[in-house]
Amino acid sequence: MSNISLEGVTKRYPGGVLAVDGVDIDIESGEFVTLVGPSGCGKTTTLRMIAGFETPTDGEVAIGDNDVTDAPPYERDTGMVFQDFALFPHMTIRENVAYGMEASGEYTDEEIDARVAEMLELVELPGVADRTPDQLSGGQQQRIALARALAPKPKALLLDEPLASLDKKLREQMQVELRRIQEEIGITTVFVTHNQEEALTMSDRLAVMNDGRFEQIGPPEEVYDDPDSRFVADFLGTANIFDGVIASAEDGYATVDCDDVTIRSTNPAGIDPRTDVSVVARPERFRFEGASTDGGAATSETATLSDSINAFDGTITFKRHLGSSVEFRLETDGGRELVVVRRSGLDEHAPGDRTTVTIDPEDCRLVEA
Amino acid sequence: MATESVSDDGADESGRAGLKANTKWFVLSYPLFWLTAIFLVPLAMLVVFSFWINIPGGQYELGFTLENYVRFLTSTLYLGQLWLTIELSLVTAILSLLLGYPIAYYLARMDRPWLRSLLLLTIISSLWVTYVIRAYAWQVILASGGILSSFGVAVGILAEPRSFYPGYWGLVVGMVYVFLPFMILTLYSSIRNIDDELLEASKNLGAGPARTFRKVTYPLSKNGIASGTALVFILALGSYVLPRLLGSSAERTLPVLIEQQIMSESNYPFGAAMSIGLIVVVLAFLWVMIRVTNVTTGSLSGSDEIATDGGPDVAGSVGSSSSGVGTRVRSTVADAASSVGLTRAVSGIGAAVDSVVTTVDSTTRESIIWVTFRAYVTAAMAFIAVPLAIIVAVSFTPEEFLTFPPGGFSFRWYVAFFTDASWMVALANSLGIALAAAILSTTIGGGLAFALDRFDYRWETIYGTLGVLPILVPPVIIGVAFLVFFLEVGLAGSRTAIIVAHGIFYAPFPFILVSQGLREIDRTYEEAAMNLGASPVRTIRTITYPLLRANVISGALFAFILSLNEYIIAWLLSLFLVETIPIQIFNQLRYSYPPTIAAASVVFIGLTVVVMTAIDRLSGGIWE
Repeated sequence: MSNISLEGVTKRYPGGVLAVDGVDIDIESGEFVTLVGPSGCGKTTTLRMIAGFETPTDGEVAIGDNDVTDAPPYERDTGMVFQDFALFPHMTIRENVAYGMEASGEYTDEEIDARVAEMLELVELPGVADRTPDQLSGGQQQRIALARALAPKPKALLLDEPLASLDKKLREQMQVELRRIQEEIGITTVFVTHNQEEALTMSDRLAVMNDGRFEQIGPPEEVYDDPDSRFVADFLGTANIFDGVIASAEDGYATVDCDDVTIRSTNPAGIDPRTDVSVVARPERFRFEGASTDGGAATSETATLSDSINAFDGTITFKRHLGSSVEFRLETDGGRELVVVRRSGLDEHAPGDRTTVTIDPEDCRLVEA
Repeated sequence: MATESVSDDGADESGRAGLKANTKWFVLSYPLFWLTAIFLVPLAMLVVFSFWINIPGGQYELGFTLENYVRFLTSTLYLGQLWLTIELSLVTAILSLLLGYPIAYYLARMDRPWLRSLLLLTIISSLWVTYVIRAYAWQVILASGGILSSFGVAVGILAEPRSFYPGYWGLVVGMVYVFLPFMILTLYSSIRNIDDELLEASKNLGAGPARTFRKVTYPLSKNGIASGTALVFILALGSYVLPRLLGSSAERTLPVLIEQQIMSESNYPFGAAMSIGLIVVVLAFLWVMIRVTNVTTGSLSGSDEIATDGGPDVAGSVGSSSSGVGTRVRSTVADAASSVGLTRAVSGIGAAVDSVVTTVDSTTRESIIWVTFRAYVTAAMAFIAVPLAIIVAVSFTPEEFLTFPPGGFSFRWYVAFFTDASWMVALANSLGIALAAAILSTTIGGGLAFALDRFDYRWETIYGTLGVLPILVPPVIIGVAFLVFFLEVGLAGSRTAIIVAHGIFYAPFPFILVSQGLREIDRTYEEAAMNLGASPVRTIRTITYPLLRANVISGALFAFILSLNEYIIAWLLSLFLVETIPIQIFNQLRYSYPPTIAAASVVFIGLTVVVMTAIDRLSGGIWE
């Protein structure tokens, strides 16, 4: 297995559209990295430059020790799973899976047969070798596409939104399955998706892309809990975002003035006063005034603290059950809508109730606007 | 640093781009060679020839004179025949539209797939049988000893046998018979493309069948109406065989006059000038059609006013310019000159149907409509199928002359056909020419389609137009242009000349089919193959070609069958030296009617049907 490195990779289309704008990333051998971002952010173009379907206008792409920036796709040894699987319709499943090995010319017929059987075993579809793609369900085609990509023992696995065309249940099943197979083989994997939930649940690291650039690269929990930018906070999961100006900053904390409220947040980077910033507050970090914390009963000390800092009075406008948790929408007296998510069974508020929610400054993140 | 890397990459890019540019021009050069050097050059020579000076007796002199054009445009004879040609074509197009629409609609909406395939195959098969045989079939029907006349006498409508041809209406019937299939197929595909859900939505919203037709089906099939009408009009304009075999001397259309100038008078400059005149008519019509179709497209989005505004405009110009000759049907023609003008006619019929049928309950209403439909479609299908069936029937006559019904059953004329050396030479010529022409067509059309699909060219649209242009030029003009060209080159009167002319003339079929195939291939299949390590050549061999094969072979078979059945181009280029089956049949029709012609025709029809079925099988129902 090999590492993949992109250095200043840029793609500018004729006509001047800048699809990818100087991205850098080193993907370690065996790592599962997800490129995630809204459509048009350049993630698919980046993947296609790794696969060799697009040539960077600038920068370098390396797979293992080889600079492959200008190598054609068929000399790169990557295995790709396409969005619509692209199983060759005029070939059987066996022929599809054997295709890469036959093209390489390095395998005997016996080896190919054995490898095809092994691959079908790996994706748990041993009996389908003689069928044609149109006789398989979407989920089965997905597995075969994976088997075909892995059969010639590529250096890296590239996945271009492979789960997008599956229904929700199957998608979740395939997420687990894909990760299992990837870990079993230990293959370096680049996964492209616009689905932030998929990115968060599947990756070792994820790279959030926007406008052709990487906004942030890191493990899922880090990117989720500690977003580098307003975009990342907003794109991954749900976030309550308070745009304002730092009124004062001291000892790793800052007080931020927004139009309607003042909010206190951690400020580890020590951003200076009078800077335009956004405070990111995740819904599950809020709690209702006087309610129990997740761990136990609230102490009177924290209750009084909440009274003065980061407490928002308002009316509950909407409530829905998400299964293990409950989501509330609260309209503050200042006219701001807050999303609050609490574990089921902790609170008994209903739409129309007046209430106060609070959040610890420790649970707030400050990003420059 | 930054500038360095930019220049590095720049050099690299241009290096690879250079390689790619070489491939791309290399791929394009082959089809472009044929379509310019061997197609545009003869057409250009035709233009040049039209200004040369004719010396009576088959000679001409290099020079510049407008005399040929002056003669063409000032002679009441030639102008009159020009208007007649246009009028005949319009009548044919409009009759085909009126007769064809209900059939196309029925075929598109019927729910028995096997019957639909059968009907479509019947229509399509008759389409490819040479005009010569089909005109001959109508001679058999319309002649004084023919079927219609005998039937008339038997029933007592006619006092004595009479002939319904040669003459205007006999010719119109023959033209409609020949061109109706084109109209039906064009309309069929456009009606078939209308999503069933749209019709269900309309019914769900409370619209009855007539209203659904008027408000949904008809507007959505307008483009089909426009292209079908245009297609039939252009084909009719260029038609030589039918006016020659079914028309009297009064119905000598422009293609007939052109052929006469070339083959009988050997007046090449004047023939060339008339050819240019015919091309101008085609181009003018196409121009009007494109403009009108654009307006029609606009009217799809709701503004009916624009469409009806365009109608009288076009109709008016056609109507006023055809003063003098086209008195017979001119007013009707003018009213319905464009598909746009037809809007009102069709809506009128729809409204009438609506008001009649709203008095009955809806189930009865639908069944009445379908029963009427079925009766009509049966009659129309008979019109399409019976003439060739009659040829088959008379081919088995044991008698010396053509009679219907045949007075017995015998294979003697088949024996005569297969034992006659001249028929066998003609058959061998026909097959050999068609095979070679099909290969040429497929390489030209397929090559161009591939080049245009895979690479970006500056003048892509022009090359694309060049790919379909040959088929838009009336065949008689192709024949004259190539004759002029091959006379200079010294190949006139050879099989090679006919092969090249057919190969280029029918290249649009493989071009269109292969282009369509390439468009339909999902590019990710090829990307997947390359990702799995397949080189470009391996990718084409194992992925692209197999996915494209049906289209390539269908294209080749189309070219084969069309070349097999082509008469006028082969005839003009033959210089009486090469015989093909259509030429042989045509020549014999001029002098006598031995039943061998019928036997030859049946063999030929059989060949055609076999090839058509092969195409159908291959493409898994290309007609869907």
